[in-house]
Order: sequence, then C-alpha cells, then structure tokens
Amino acid sequence: MKYLGRRLIHAALLLIGVSFFSFALLQWAPGDFFDELQLNPRISARTVEALRVEYGLNQSLPVRYEHWLRSVAHGDLGFSLAYNSAVGPIIAVRARNTLVLTGAATLMAWLLGIPLGIWTATSGRGWANRILGVTTSTLLTIPDLLLFLCLLLLAVRTGWFPAGGMFSPSAEAAAFWPRAKDVFAHLFLPAFGLAVVSLPVLIRHVRSAMVDVLASPFLRAARGHGIPRMRVLFRYALPVAANPLISLFGFSVATMLSASLIAEVILSWPGLGPLLIEATLARDVYVVVATVLLSAVFLVFGNLLADLLLVAVDPRIRME
Amino acid sequence: MGRTRNRRHRAWGCGAIVVCALLAIWGATAIRPLNAAQPGEELAITETPVGRMGGSLVIALRSEPKTLNPALAVDDPSREVLGCLNADLIDINRQTLKTAPALAKSWEVSKDGKQYTLHLRRGLRFSDGQPFNADDVVFTFQVLLDEKIHSPQRDLLVIVDKPIAVEKIDDYTVRFSLAQPYAAADRIFDGIAILPRHLLEATYRDGKFPQAWSLSAPPSQFAGLGPFRLKEYVPGQRVVLERNPYYWKQDKSGNRLPYLNELQFLFVSNEDAEVIRFEAGDTDLLSRVGAENFTMLQKQQAAKGYHVADLGAGLEYNFLFFNLNDLSSKGKPEIAAKQAWFRDVRFRQAVSEAIDRADIVRLVYAGRATPLWGQVTPGNKLWIDSALPHPQCSLDHAKELLRSAGFSWKGDGTLVDPHGKAVEFSILTSSSNAQRTKMATIVQDDLSHLGMNVHIVPLEFRAMVARLLNSFDYEAVVMGIASGDADPTSEMNVWVSDGETHLWNLAGKPSTPWEAQMDKLMQQQEVTINYAKRKQLYDRVQEIVSQNLPVICLVSPNILVGAKDRVGNFRPAILDPYVLWNVEELYVR
Amino acid sequence: MQRKYKFGVVIFLLVVVHAAILFAGFFAPYGYATQNRELPFAPPTELHFVDQAGKWHVRPFVYALADDSDNPGAYRTDLNTRYAMHFFVQGTPYKIAGIFASRVHLFGVSDPGRVFLMGTDEFGRDQFSRFLFGGQLSLLAGLLAAALSVSVGIVVGGIAGFYGGWVDDLLMRGGELFLALPWLYLLFAVRAALPLHVSQAQVLLLLVAVVGLIGWARPARLIRGVVLSAKERNSVLAARGFGASDAYLLRRHVLPEAYGVVLTQITLLIPQYILAEVTLTFLGLGVGEPMPSWGSLLASLQQYYVLSTYWWMFLPALLLIPLFLAYYSVADAVQERLKSVAL
Repeated sequence: MKYLGRRLIHAALLLIGVSFFSFALLQWAPGDFFDELQLNPRISARTVEALRVEYGLNQSLPVRYEHWLRSVAHGDLGFSLAYNSAVGPIIAVRARNTLVLTGAATLMAWLLGIPLGIWTATSGRGWANRILGVTTSTLLTIPDLLLFLCLLLLAVRTGWFPAGGMFSPSAEAAAFWPRAKDVFAHLFLPAFGLAVVSLPVLIRHVRSAMVDVLASPFLRAARGHGIPRMRVLFRYALPVAANPLISLFGFSVATMLSASLIAEVILSWPGLGPLLIEATLARDVYVVVATVLLSAVFLVFGNLLADLLLVAVDPRIRME
Repeated sequence: MGRTRNRRHRAWGCGAIVVCALLAIWGATAIRPLNAAQPGEELAITETPVGRMGGSLVIALRSEPKTLNPALAVDDPSREVLGCLNADLIDINRQTLKTAPALAKSWEVSKDGKQYTLHLRRGLRFSDGQPFNADDVVFTFQVLLDEKIHSPQRDLLVIVDKPIAVEKIDDYTVRFSLAQPYAAADRIFDGIAILPRHLLEATYRDGKFPQAWSLSAPPSQFAGLGPFRLKEYVPGQRVVLERNPYYWKQDKSGNRLPYLNELQFLFVSNEDAEVIRFEAGDTDLLSRVGAENFTMLQKQQAAKGYHVADLGAGLEYNFLFFNLNDLSSKGKPEIAAKQAWFRDVRFRQAVSEAIDRADIVRLVYAGRATPLWGQVTPGNKLWIDSALPHPQCSLDHAKELLRSAGFSWKGDGTLVDPHGKAVEFSILTSSSNAQRTKMATIVQDDLSHLGMNVHIVPLEFRAMVARLLNSFDYEAVVMGIASGDADPTSEMNVWVSDGETHLWNLAGKPSTPWEAQMDKLMQQQEVTINYAKRKQLYDRVQEIVSQNLPVICLVSPNILVGAKDRVGNFRPAILDPYVLWNVEELYVR
Repeated sequence: MQRKYKFGVVIFLLVVVHAAILFAGFFAPYGYATQNRELPFAPPTELHFVDQAGKWHVRPFVYALADDSDNPGAYRTDLNTRYAMHFFVQGTPYKIAGIFASRVHLFGVSDPGRVFLMGTDEFGRDQFSRFLFGGQLSLLAGLLAAALSVSVGIVVGGIAGFYGGWVDDLLMRGGELFLALPWLYLLFAVRAALPLHVSQAQVLLLLVAVVGLIGWARPARLIRGVVLSAKERNSVLAARGFGASDAYLLRRHVLPEAYGVVLTQITLLIPQYILAEVTLTFLGLGVGEPMPSWGSLLASLQQYYVLSTYWWMFLPALLLIPLFLAYYSVADAVQERLKSVAL
C-alpha cells in the first residue's frame, strides 16, 4: 500500500512536470494561433491583437499556467482557441476512438506475437523460421509512414477495405450489429498495420525469453517426465518467461495514445492523431497540452500496471 | 404454433399499412403546403433546369470545421458548412461575379452613394419555422459591429475607419449608411449570414455570444436561412445537414428548393485523403484538387462514373517578393546591404525575366495553371488589364538589365555587384505548401543561370509569418494570396502602403513615388462608383505593379473540381465555395 | 564457417555502399540539383547491348526518350536514337569530402542522351545521383544522432545504475518525463531561431542532433541495467575493497561491461534516426530543396499521385531495406560474439 502511495505521488509530480514543461516548450515555438489571421487581407491587425488579449495570449507563462491548472480542476482541460470551447469534450471522443484502434492493434499483435515467438524459439533453424526472421527484420526497416501508405494504396486499388475513416457515410442510422460490422471493416487495416509495426520487437522478446527458459533444467525435467509438448510450453514455460513480456506489455499500454498517430493521419481515423497534428501546427496550445498530458497519464499507468502485474505473477519480486 | 405466428404477422402487417397510410396523409398535409409558396411568401425563383427531389450527397472537408457560429468562423471548412446553413442579403453570383438579390429582393442607392436601402423578401421563415424580418438584420449587424465580439467580419463593415450604420425603416426595409461613397458596398453583404434574433438575442445580452453555436451545441439550438439545417455532428468524422423545409427559393416548376434531403460533410486529413475517398466512391463532390491528382483522376473518369473539370485560373496569385522594409531599426546589416540590389528595379526586372513561368506551369502544376505578369488573374475577367505586356522569359535580356545596373560576372559565372560582392540570397517558403516549395526550386535553378546563388529556406508556416510581419528577417519570399472576392477593394490592404498586408514594405507610408501613386489610385477607385472609371484606375495599378515589380507575379493555379456523374446541376465556379455555391440546386439524377 | 562467410558478405556490402556514398560525386553521373526539365518523372533507363538489328555492342548503350503524344506525361523510347555509355567522363563539377574538386564521373552517356538508373523526379533530376548524395547527409545525421543518444545514455544510465537509490529514481523518472514531452515544439523553435544563411545540410544535422539528444532515455535504461548487474560482480566488489574511487570503478570496471550494449544500440539507432527524418519532413522540418537526403527521397512517396503512379520512386526505399538489414545483422553478430566471449 505504501509502495502504491509512493508511486502515485511520483505520478502526480510527473504529470505536473510534463504539463509545465509542455507549456514552456510551446512558449518557445515561433508564432501563435492568431498569426494566420494576420496574413488575411480582410482582417485588421487591431482585431487580431484584440483576440490575443481576449484569449490571454499576451499574459505571462506562470499566469497562463495557473489559469490552465484551474480549468483542469474544473475538468475542462483548458480552452481550445480553434474550436472556441473547452478541450475536455473535444478530446474525449477522439481519445476513445484512438483506444478502440490501439486496443484492437495490441490484441492482434499479442495474439500473433506469442505463438510466433514461441514457435521460433522451439523450431530449429528451418526454412520457415528463417523466412519469418527475415520478414520481421525487414519490417523493422520499413518506415511506418511508408507501410501505412502502402496499406492505403492496397485498400484503394483492390477495394477490399474501406479507404479510411471509421464509419461508412451511410452506416450512421443502422442498427448496432451492422454498425459494429462497419466499424470492424474500417478498423481492420489500421489495426493490422499497427500490429505489424510492433510485431518484430514482440516476437524477438518472446523468443529470447523462451529460449532462456527452455534451456533451464526444470523444463528439461518436465519434458523428461513425458508431459506433452504444448502443455510444457504454455503451462510451464510461458509463465516463467512472462517476466520481461509483462514489462513490454506495460510499455504497449503506456504508448496506447501516441503510437497510432501516423496511422490515424494517413488512414483518416478520427482519433487524437489528426487533432494533435492540426493543433500542433496551428498552435492551439491547450489542445496540445491536454493531449500530451493524457498520453503521460497512460505512460504512468502502463508502467504502474506492468510493475503490479510483475508482483502478481512473479513471487520472487516483492514491493520495496 | 407456426400458424398463429403467421396470423400475427399478418395482423402486424395490416397495422403497419394503416399506420403508414396515416403517416403519409399526415406527412402530406404537413409538407405539401410548404413545398408550394405560402400566401405572402416572396420566394426567389431560379432559372436552372428542374431537378429531382430527394437523395443525399457527400463531400469531404480537408480539416474539421471549428465552429458553426457565423460571426466568428474564419477557417475554410467552417465557412463551407456555414454557407449551406445560412443566407446573406445580397449575394455575389459565382458565375457572373456580379451581385444578385438574395434575402434582399432589391435595393436602391442614394444619389450621393452613401445610403443603401434594402427591401427584404416578405414572409420568409428561419429553418425552425420562426419568421424573418428587419429586426433580424439589425440584430445581425449589431452583433458583428460589436467590438467585444471580435468578429473577423467586422473589418469588412468598417469602411475608411467608420463602421457602417444600420437602421430599420419598416419590418421589411433596412437602410445602411456609409460615411463616404464606397464602390463595392453591395458586395460586402456577400457571405454575411443573417442571424435569428429570437434564438440569439438573450445569449448576446448575457455576453455569452462567443460561446454560442459551438459544434457541440445540440441541433435544436440552431436556425438559419440557408438551404439546409444542422442534423448531426460527430466529432472527428462528419457533419450531417438536412433539408430546410422553409427555404426561400423555388425552381421553375414550383418545387421548393433544395432538392437534396441530406448533405454530408466528411472530415479527412488532407488533399490526398480527399482524392482517395472520391476515387473510392465515398464522396460525390471534389472541391479543389491539385493538378497531379487531377491528371490521375482524369485518366479513369470514364470507367469510374465521375468527371473532373478544369475551370481555368482562379483568383489566387503566387508571387516572389524581396524584403524592401526599412531595416535600420532591426539590426540586420547583412540583409540591409543586399537591399541595394533588391531596391534596384532593374535587378527585380532581371529576376522576373529569368524565371520561366511556363516551366512552373508545366512542372509544378502539370500544365494546369496560368502564367501571370500582374496580380489580377485571367479568371477575374471583370478586372484584368489585358493590355499588360507579357515579356518573354529571356536570359539575355535579363543579363543586359543586370549589366546596365552595374552588375558583372566573374570567370566561373558568379554574378557580382558593382562593389565586387557575389550575389547570394535566400528565398523563404512555407514547408506546408508543396507547390510553393517546388516553385522556389525552379526559381532557384533559373536564377542560377544568371549567376545568382540562391538558397531555399523552407520554414514552418508560423515561423515564416513571424519573420515576414515582425522581425523582417528574410531576403525574399515565395507565397500566394487568394483573394476573397473578385473586386479590387478586397485587395486594398495589399496595395496601399499603410495596408497590413503590404508585405514587401510594412513602413506604413510610401517610400517611392510609384508607391505613393498606387496609394492614390487605390483610394480613388475605392470611392468611384462608375465601373469603367474604376477599371481605368485599377488598370493603372496593375501597370505600376508590372513595371516596378514590388511583387513578381508567377502563376495562378487553375481551379480543378470533380463530381460523380449522378450529380445534377453541377456548375462549379472559380470563387469559393467552388462546388457548393449553388448547393440548393444540386440534385441526384 | 558458413556464418562467418555470410558475415563477410555483409561487411563487404556495407563497405561498398559506404564507399559509393563517400565518393558520391564520382559514382553519380549527374549533380544532385541538375534538372532535366524536359524529362520529369522519366522511368529508369534500360541499358542495352543488342540493338534493333540484333547487332552486339561491347559498349552498352541507351535509347533516347521522347514524349508520348498519345499519352501526356508518359514517355516512349526512340529506338532509332542510341547513345553509347562511356566511363570516366567529364561532367558536373563536385567535391569529395568537401576538399578534392573534380569533374570526372564513373560513367555517363554521350550528350544529349541521359542515363537515369533509378528514373527521375518531378524536375527531371536523376534519382540515382540523388540517392548517393542523399546518403552522405543521412548517414552523417544518423551517426551523429545515435552517438549523441548513446553518450548521454551512458552518462545518465551509468550514474543511475551505479549510485542507485534516489539518484536512480530521479534520473529514471526524468527519463519518463522526457519521453512524454511534446518535443516537436523544441524542434520548431530551434529551426525558427536559426539564421537565414545556415545551409540546409547543417539545419538537418542540427535538428537530427536535437532528436538524438532527446532520445537518451531508452539507451540509458538499458545501460543502467547492465551497470546494475556489473557493480555486484566480485571483481568490482574487490576493487572497491581496495579503496578504488567511484570514477575509477565506473571507468575501468563497470562501463566496459556496457560496451556491447552501446555498440548494438548504435547500430540499431542509426537506421531509426535516418528514418526519423521522414517524419520530420512530414511535419515540415525536413531538409530543403534542392539538397537530397534519404528521408526526403522517401517522403516524396507521401504524395498519393507519386505513390500510385511512379513505381521507381519506391526504389530508394527498397534499396534501404538491405542496407538496414546489414546494420541489424552486424548488431546481432556483435551481440552473439559478446555472448560467446562471456561464456
């Protein structure tokens, strides 16, 4: 309990640090939200200046930070200059969409990664194994951007998948099941792409963890006792090998809000990605800070989750 | 068991038929009177071919709309959606580029040109069924002119430092008074959405107007005079509009417009995504597409059941300009030293003549652009000075000009100024605009043939603006301006030396005789009512620009659009909103 | 035996590629900024030995390209016009390593013919030449960034692992904080603050260096792990017993243990930082025209019409895959070697 308390204090400090430094970084970047208006020949500089004052952009960093903290306390998470409304509701829906995508991708990656990793660890130097090895390292060398562009091209050329978005334009009024099917059809390609991106690392880790465990005497003994191979692998070896995998799992939870940025932008997924890029370029400061803060929450949560799981799974680890 | 179920089904079926019939009758009584003109309702009658009622269309937006408050919206996607939800008093017809009656059925101008009396259509209703009259107009202008609201449209209504005054004569007559005659006074009403006083007055009195009509507000809070009304907004995905049953236009055979039941705006993240969704058949209309994508779509148009159209030059002009600001207080000695070249008109002329505009058209725009020698594009037929000379791209003549200005060449071909200093400068571009970066690449290569060593500095948009407007820390820039209107008054701020977008020199006063002359001409045309006389004045401005080259105009991209073959009455225009300006007339074949 | 042989091939490949990139000016037939405005998006030129009449030529030749009148934007080969290929020809002047000026190119075809081994881009610039020149900048940037990440990682990870306790806590939480911040704004700020006349190459190197400096958190974590286990070794404990100072222990006993991790991290990070430039370009922070870099060559694929129309624009990306695979296999080999040494 004391351990948990300490971790929570750490987390709070971290979040405050993240939000403050985000503010400071934003302050450094050139220009502000209203610059674009300034180049519009039909809007006067006086109006632009008045808008800056109205939205408090002329105030000093500590003052703005304090205002923002207060708005966080209200649950607004600041005020979006572009959307002219509180940030909280704007990012809530999009965060949900992002989580749908990354959740599906994580699930897919682990469902594929664990069997594949175990398989490469146990089957010798066969051809299939080698092909898998080359494929996974090739995947490591392809930039995400290119991978998603190619998936998009595939979708457009073959017509097998919808070309981006989360719903078909006609599916809005449909009942629950057709609607869920529609979302699934849209979800498959980006989730698959994300899973493919994280697979090589996952397979490598599963493999090396399993190789270490399989060499240990107790497993050789288990096999010697005639316990079926599958049972040995999944019932005895996997839990022992789980230790490094749990850290990895924590990491994938930690990056759930930020890992899909490029995929979302390219495949028009209505998540945080497109919003964040647009807000970043437009200097819609509070949207950026709120998004960063939210992903920091996930980062902290993911790491904490991993540590707690480790304690639960591995009796050798005690809370300090 | 099976039998009873069958019977029950039949009973259900009968019930359903009765209900449907009742609904149909009820629907007929509820909707039919609205389809025909009500007594006392002064509907506008359109001239276009009669279409078919019903159906829906989908169009993509390249980013999300930010607000549905017409007084505050500045971004293109918001304005595009708002254009379908609202109506203005006097409209600029996108095909003739001249003014046409809208909510005001007619208007008169007083002899001195200072008073405009507008006669409103009678018997119109907002999309929530509430009546529209002069109070709504007065309220709208009160809000827009309120300095506390900070409406970006306010500046349009402030004519030579004096806000326009609004006065209600009777329920259907409004008078607008100007402090001095203003040539384009009737054009400023275009795009100014008339707000429903009955919905917004209380909010306005409470000082909460800026928060009203945000995207998250429920559709029931909205009402407008446009062909559509808000049905649903799904964050990150789409805005859905439905037919406004009270819209005030009618076709030749008496159908109340719009034809469409529904219009959907789909949010995508960039142009490529928009093209892909169009190619995949998800969207019916393509608003403005780049030349390469256009060429790609064109190849498959027959097979895929859509067509794309090249409307020719729009109003956007792209140009190169040098930093002619007074830098004495900015502490930039290096740039200030180079200004000796930039200020020499022969240097600017040589640069202009060395740039191969035809190559820009071919390589940057795949041939779908128009070369420019002045700021008015061929798309703006009312105002272009067609007598403007089009000097050929000529390296020899450019070299002659440089030689006459005292420049010379070293053995390795490097251009040096009279003091022996090598000519080297940088061109800023916005890295988010691929076309302008490409343009700069061609300009750089062209100028290298003159022996100039030119660097391209792509900067993120806001970083570029900061240098342009505040620190003056730049030497040359390639950028573009898309005029909001075809009329020269919309360009005042660019060409008058105290204008805020008089980018090459923001001193606030003319620093050369020709700038002083341009100021005078621009101010004169602003108050001249007679078109022919104004045209003469503005032709002179174009001449001065093309002779003195404060900005070196390069090209104007063509407006490229597309639509599925099933869209009827598709008549795109070169002025924003390109394909949706006649949205009430669009129908599904 | 077989593995060793394979490793030899990999090393040979890497040496050849890096030499070609170092002497890009010599191996590239044209300058990276040379435009052929009549030949935008020309497909890769085919080399021939046999002509139309079936006659063999010792000297390879290429056919001329002409606009296809039936199909605007496409080309057809003019089979009547041949241009022979020559070696050690005079061409665009260049400098090797910024010092030795020369105009001699390994190969070229007689004027006005052109040879584009990897096709051309929208300005008719030779993609092959741009790929070689682009490698100079990208490899330098990748190496610089990887070195910076790892060296900060060594310092932070070494201290955190060696001292443990609250120092460790502080540094590792600091690492988490670092991972979460919106660094893009720092990059915007750095880019905007640079004076006008900094060259494009320097801008990119600086930006990638910043990215590298920010990326210390992960290598630091790994090095910390190694240090944690190393400091409990008997040799270290013994040395401490003899009164060795902390600095001495770190330098002589603990950090050498991390040598393998450092080397593998660098080989893994170089490709990552080279590819990071693609994302930088996506956000408008990439290298500016006309300077090529691998990141900017890949980034041109972002335009849908390029992606879907001109297959040869994929060639730079395809060439990078075996190169990066070679890096990874070097990393693997280092790891394996260390393991066998440790045993």
